[in-house]
Amino acid sequence: MATISFDLVSPENLIFNDEVGTIIVPGKDGDLGVLPGHTQVMSSLRPGRVMVYSEDKNLVKSFFVSGGFAEINPEKCIVLAESVVELNSLDKSSIEKEIEELGSKEDKESVEQLSIAKAKLEAVTVSFYDKI
Amino acid sequence: MPSLKDIKTQINSVGSTRKITSAMKMVAASKLRRSQEKAEAARPYSSRLEEMLASLASSAASGEGIIKLLTGTGNDQNYIIVPVSADRGLCGGFNSSINRETFKLVKSLEGNGKNVQIIPLGKKSRDFFNRVMKDQIIESFVDLNISNTGYDSALQVSNKLQELYFEEKFDKCILVFNKFKSAISQEVTKQQLIPLDVSNSSKEENTNNSSAKAIYDYEPDEETILKDLLPKNVSIQIFKVLLESDAGEHGARMAAMDNATRNAGEMIDSLTLKYNRTRQAFITKELIEIISGAESV
Repeated sequence: MATISFDLVSPENLIFNDEVGTIIVPGKDGDLGVLPGHTQVMSSLRPGRVMVYSEDKNLVKSFFVSGGFAEINPEKCIVLAESVVELNSLDKSSIEKEIEELGSKEDKESVEQLSIAKAKLEAVTVSFYDKI
Repeated sequence: MPSLKDIKTQINSVGSTRKITSAMKMVAASKLRRSQEKAEAARPYSSRLEEMLASLASSAASGEGIIKLLTGTGNDQNYIIVPVSADRGLCGGFNSSINRETFKLVKSLEGNGKNVQIIPLGKKSRDFFNRVMKDQIIESFVDLNISNTGYDSALQVSNKLQELYFEEKFDKCILVFNKFKSAISQEVTKQQLIPLDVSNSSKEENTNNSSAKAIYDYEPDEETILKDLLPKNVSIQIFKVLLESDAGEHGARMAAMDNATRNAGEMIDSLTLKYNRTRQAFITKELIEIISGAESV
């Protein structure tokens, strides 16, 4: 089976760059599963999980991104994300606390932060496949 | 004529200045390396973003809402100039060249009957414009500390600018910053930030024609992506400029301190020569006194 090259880039650095089997990216209208030979797509992303699977379908890495863009062509998938954290470094209780703090505020920035935090909580709680 | 002791003290004080400047040079050199690495690391993101934008820019037809960041307000009356300087001095002409260029730009725009406002970044340009055109400063950002706080501080600036833009407080925004050319040379550069200068990116589009021209499916659609992309692009441009200016600052400081160290060395050499001459003169004088005393006996 073929592989596809995957770059995960944040403004500060290149976070991930390797040949992988499958990537699942959180497209604005729904998750996109990207396999080698995928058609050319440019999509904006919603806050959510980026899951990276190896060629033999095992989960390699999982990240949370707070939005961004994905550029996909048959050989390459590039995700530009504003903030990227590894999923297993997130702590559920601290996110819940963040949501509580932001919940009462009403300015535009807090509302935005809140929706990101909610997506973060969802990313942590909702189960995912270790193998596909 | 200064006494021997005076010269000796002078040599000592120049010597300790030299120690300080050479230490500062070392510090600047290591900071330069770090911030160069940072600038390098940020490059993939911004170049990717520019590529995306280039392939999307053509699809922006109407100038409504966020798209205005690309197409402009249609006016050309109100300007915001953003000089990017350092927070600290002792880096040669780094800050003063920024201030001078900005000052010239403001004056020439005003000469053409435009309204100009200033948002200085960095203490040195804030202080300068506080002195010369205080009432034109609408906001200033200091202690941005880009190499530590990173993208967030760029975001602050970018949010403020976009807020003002959508309140229609200005039509064009120009950044004045030191472009990092090499460790020892910086070039004062003006870059139009808002509306986005497409001529720049379309040039890039031509160079990598094959990849940029490829036909993409857009999800959800071109306009939505563009609306997400444009504000990000403003932030990333500011981020890039800040990083570049940071690297430039350290480079300039390194060069300035290298010069200072060399000058101090030369000064010590010439002072030492003077010291030795004076000492010799004293000895000769004493000898003459002794000899002439002996002769007269």
